[in-house]
Amino acid sequence: MSGRGLRSPASAAASLLVPLALVATTAALGAGGTPAFEDTVTLILCNLVIVLGLQVFIGNSGVYSFGQLGFAAGGAYLAALLTIPAIFTILQTPELPKLIADAELGPLLSTLIAAAATGVLAASVGWPLMRTSTLAIPISTFAFLIVVYNVLANWDPVTGGSSGLVSIPTTTGIGSAALWSGVAVVVALAFKRSAAGYRLQATREDEVAARSIGIGLMRERLLAFTISAMLCAVGGALAVHQSGTLSPKTFYFAASVTTITMLVVGGARSVFGAVVGTLAVATVNELLRNLEEGASVLGLFSIGDTPGLAAIGLGLILLVTMVVLPDGLSGGREAGEIGPLRRWLPPGLLPTPAAAMAERARPLPVTGSTTGLRAEGISLAFTGLQVLRGLDLELHPGEALGLIGPNGAGKTTLVNVLSGFQSPDSGRVLLDGVEVTGLSPERLARAGIGRTFQAALPFAGLTVVESVAVGAMGVGAGRRRAVEIAAEVLGRLRLGEEAQRPGGLQPPGNQRLLGIARALATGPRYLLLDEPAAGLNDEECGELVAILRGVIEDFGCGVLLIEHDMNVVMDLCSRVQVLDGGETVAVGTPEEVQADPAVVEAYLGTSYAAGAHA
Amino acid sequence: MTDLAQSLIDALALGGLYALIAVGVTLIYTVMGMMNFAQGEFIMLPAYALYVLAGLPFAVAVGAALVTGIGIAVLAERVAFRPVRNADLSAQLVTSLAVATILQNVVSASVDARAQSVAAPALVSESTQIGSLSVPNLEILTLALTLAVLFGLGWLLYRTRIGLEMRAAAENFEMARLLGVRANRVIAIAFAISGALAAMVGVLIVMQTGQVSPTMGLTPVLVGFIAVVIGGFGRISGAVVGGLVLGALSSLLGTYLPDGLVPFRDAFVFSLPVAILIVRPQGLLGSAAGEARI
Repeated sequence: MSGRGLRSPASAAASLLVPLALVATTAALGAGGTPAFEDTVTLILCNLVIVLGLQVFIGNSGVYSFGQLGFAAGGAYLAALLTIPAIFTILQTPELPKLIADAELGPLLSTLIAAAATGVLAASVGWPLMRTSTLAIPISTFAFLIVVYNVLANWDPVTGGSSGLVSIPTTTGIGSAALWSGVAVVVALAFKRSAAGYRLQATREDEVAARSIGIGLMRERLLAFTISAMLCAVGGALAVHQSGTLSPKTFYFAASVTTITMLVVGGARSVFGAVVGTLAVATVNELLRNLEEGASVLGLFSIGDTPGLAAIGLGLILLVTMVVLPDGLSGGREAGEIGPLRRWLPPGLLPTPAAAMAERARPLPVTGSTTGLRAEGISLAFTGLQVLRGLDLELHPGEALGLIGPNGAGKTTLVNVLSGFQSPDSGRVLLDGVEVTGLSPERLARAGIGRTFQAALPFAGLTVVESVAVGAMGVGAGRRRAVEIAAEVLGRLRLGEEAQRPGGLQPPGNQRLLGIARALATGPRYLLLDEPAAGLNDEECGELVAILRGVIEDFGCGVLLIEHDMNVVMDLCSRVQVLDGGETVAVGTPEEVQADPAVVEAYLGTSYAAGAHA
Repeated sequence: MTDLAQSLIDALALGGLYALIAVGVTLIYTVMGMMNFAQGEFIMLPAYALYVLAGLPFAVAVGAALVTGIGIAVLAERVAFRPVRNADLSAQLVTSLAVATILQNVVSASVDARAQSVAAPALVSESTQIGSLSVPNLEILTLALTLAVLFGLGWLLYRTRIGLEMRAAAENFEMARLLGVRANRVIAIAFAISGALAAMVGVLIVMQTGQVSPTMGLTPVLVGFIAVVIGGFGRISGAVVGGLVLGALSSLLGTYLPDGLVPFRDAFVFSLPVAILIVRPQGLLGSAAGEARI
């Protein structure tokens, strides 16, 4: 059956084969040239492995790390020391541990060991680094790069100090460089299309929305950071075994700028872009270098030592790209997603909702013996302003509870507390009898609390089906299962037609539905909706009510509905709770609440009155 | 005792220098939300002004350095940073990286890639005897300049109209615009002040090290970034605290680390932010709850 994936098989195949073909063509060109040209192309391919490593972290997370070249350096040093013949090792690094000093491993084994060791290093360095904010990661990783440099340049008896290492066997040929580039392309694409890759991309598109579907920022970033570091280590190990020399400056600031430029020029979000950017920038770089007087073809890694025209050119290319073409040459798309190819390829098909329903034995997550979502005595103040005053709330499975009240009554703040985005000053939240007060949003999402936001917060860079499927991935579903769940949810919300279109280009009404779809895909037992009908017309409101009614009936989940449109509230909700000034004014059936004088007073001529008469 | 007092003064002086750098970085961050890599080049270019004008009276050269710092900062803002003003943080960061690369290599290509020596005037290389302490004049100058700059900035931000506009822009840029704050002017002025601060730092560094090089801005800019991270983003007070902590630590490590470890001082200093961020991910003075925009 075709179209079981998030992308059509033809598109996925093109996305893999086009970059591989580019690598193969480049290698063939290099092998056909002069030995000097072949060396240059080999180094470019080594560089490509590093750039693909950068893509895995930077492209999927949207966060820049300047530390990855530190991992390239680490991998390069370890691999070099493992392969340098013992007799030379004694001279250069007398205090190196014997185990490493005496080792004279082959290229493959040394590269693999370097990658593994760097992976361990990256996981341990990344553990604290990834805890810091999106803003601090570029800086703390930059600090890491300087620490690595400082240690390599000054620990003479072990690293050879600032003069570096020589007599490194030159075992990297154009064939092995091309092969490893191919491996890196496959790894980068596989990661991007894995559940972990999608979860990380969701954090790139919107951190808050990602957390609301169970995605933990640190965990996802750390995984990509580690894989990225291992690829960079491979690239570093390959490069030193091409050039035969290594110094602390080889993989330092200049190399960071070069590789980041390559990634950005191609378009960081795409693996195809990383390949295109590397080749384009390397070509321009070599041309500029040849323009310079006395330019020797030493390859890219000597940029730090020969500044001038080429480096200025690099900076200008980077600047112009950022201003004119921020998504890079590829536009952030994979080869199989680019205009002409996309038209030529058959579109990806989703399983029709009916078929998907039939195939799946069980409906979405079943409800166990539950006692509801309870808030008890919740109080919260923001810098002196008391927003919630000892609020109680109870949401039962299978019911729809309307939460209404004038602006500033504390409705959204209460939903934030229930979903973990805010910790209350006092009071407790109980989920089916278990206290969950103060747990993170991602923990609560995985425990069965789904929510939407007043703003749509779309995953603009993902397609519609991807941005729903990632909801299921966020709470632990594998890719295949996530696609099935997404197909079902999209069918239910009548968005199946839009499945392969970009989420960011949907009209506002659909974006709102997408937010609900995304939350539904997490299989919530309690669904908290913050003004889902805002901006919808009457007909769309009617559809929304029907959809939500179906969700409640079929899955038995409890729905908490903040809504200003009283028709929607009255149609859907069996109970209504009215807030004013952070306190509960009334709870009861819609009719009871409507008749309550306190409620009328709280609203006094606002939308409530209009709603009641409509 | 004397040793301790001496190293404390050293620590304070280096901390003051780092605070100046961090304040320059923070000013731009507050009005534009950009971490500016090119701040290092705003330090490096004025230093080269001293090198180029070495024959002229020192005061003239320093004046030229200030003009250079202000000029390059304002120019970079106009040409490179204004087009990406509304781009996301990463895009702005990479843009400033591009500017830094270009400026660095223009200097490499037009002067020399290697370090050049610059003689400092005799007065700043001497020391003043205070009791039993012999304090280098440069340290006194650095501390005096830091204090003057902080008071000057405080006056500007809290006692003038443009300061009010800058604080408003830092708080909520769009709202400030709607209320009549002229964005271009506010940002240009922030860059000009930041450039002037960077120029002072450049001059101080040249007088201390006696040399200039195209990459001399790299470590200072990182120092500034880390001081900002330690202090909590976007607060002048945080930047000052972060700078002082970092400078003091660096200076004291230089004095008290065992000889074998002194070359690794930078490794220790730059590991600090990570240690601090493990305990307080929001920085020393950052607010505890990063308010979610929901």
